[in-house]
Amino acid sequence: MRTQNPIKLRPLLATLRAEVLTDHVPEEITGGYCSDLLSDVLAHAEPGVLWLTVQVHRNVVSVAAMKDVAAVLLTCGRKPDSASLAEADEAGIALLTTPLSTYEAAGKLWEAGL
Amino acid sequence: MISPPASEKTEIAGDARKVSVAQVLVYELRVRDAMSKPPITAAPTESLRSIQHLMKEHRFSGVPITENGTLLGLISIEDIINALDHGHINDPAAAHMTRGLVTLRDHYSLLRAVAEFDRHGFGRFPVLNTSDRLVGMITRGDITTCLMQHLEKRAEEALAHEARLRATHTADEAAQRVVIRAPVRTGDYDSAGKISQRMRQLLRDRAIDPEIRRRAAVVAYEAETNIIIHSLGGEVSVTIDPDQVVIEAVDVGPGIDNIEQAMQEGWSTAGRLPRELGFGAGMGLPNMRRCSDRFEVVSDSDHGTRVRSEIHLRKAGAPST
Repeated sequence: MRTQNPIKLRPLLATLRAEVLTDHVPEEITGGYCSDLLSDVLAHAEPGVLWLTVQVHRNVVSVAAMKDVAAVLLTCGRKPDSASLAEADEAGIALLTTPLSTYEAAGKLWEAGL
Repeated sequence: MISPPASEKTEIAGDARKVSVAQVLVYELRVRDAMSKPPITAAPTESLRSIQHLMKEHRFSGVPITENGTLLGLISIEDIINALDHGHINDPAAAHMTRGLVTLRDHYSLLRAVAEFDRHGFGRFPVLNTSDRLVGMITRGDITTCLMQHLEKRAEEALAHEARLRATHTADEAAQRVVIRAPVRTGDYDSAGKISQRMRQLLRDRAIDPEIRRRAAVVAYEAETNIIIHSLGGEVSVTIDPDQVVIEAVDVGPGIDNIEQAMQEGWSTAGRLPRELGFGAGMGLPNMRRCSDRFEVVSDSDHGTRVRSEIHLRKAGAPST
């Protein structure tokens, strides 16, 4: 799913109770995508979106990089291992974590106009 | 005594032979290249007054006096000042001009011309051709201007040459085929994406359209993970040409029982571990086909599986065909 107008990510962080884990965080996101299946993300995610997933291993970073996803929001309080984190920093993919479930986080994003 | 190595010797010889561009130009350029032409002349019968006006008009400090193209003498600014001083400004040029002039030939090198300026201390020389006709005038300023112009031209040529070399280099690079080939091991989930990442970088270096880059990345990534998840091991090769990228995944088995079934979205034979990692969605092959311009799967239980994907490349911003 992709919105017409990009939306600023920073103001959403409090709503999502999200913590930024990587060095950088993108200014804007153009939409959101929820999936825990990597191939599904490869097939359907649009570039520039925020990807919500419970998957935390380094392939998440690879897939995000392949699709030029703006940032990955790890839900249900999941934290990546240090290898994934280092790789994300290198690939310029922002990793965020939230205690909210994918469903709750997506709901908040939807309410916020994404 | 230790003799210096051969390479050092060569270098010294090279240094001794090094000649600056300006030095070369001074040899190469001729008086005819630098002189002002055609010369502004006056007839011997013309008054010093009218020659004074001529000087003023053209900002010359000396006017050659000629008759039918033959140089007779020269009226300099000093001659005019003297004429004003002594009240003979209305006299004809022939009465006061300097005769027996030192002249330069138009085929002399500028080096020789500079030497003549140094030797005689004159501000200007009339220039004659081999038939003794006056063809121009030359000053030190003319020589400097000429050298500067040619140096500039040389510099521009050098820059243009450099730019051409760079362009050829880039063209060569673009025309070059790059092949990435790497083994992929069964169950090596941590290495998934290594090959596609490298390919993405190469495609980005070639300024390939981002959408096409993403499609190629999906194919390469799925090719890698397919081997990791399903095979007994294999190899992924990526061949990048200027107009296309070909991604081939070859494994040693066990082969796909029913390719038609495998091509259906959602059909998966993946085990529990890959599924937990988010693999095995049953979308690998369909994803690859969707992202390819040409796609082919050949599989049998004896030889394993060979997947070949072809993606046509286009530079970012180029019109799609």
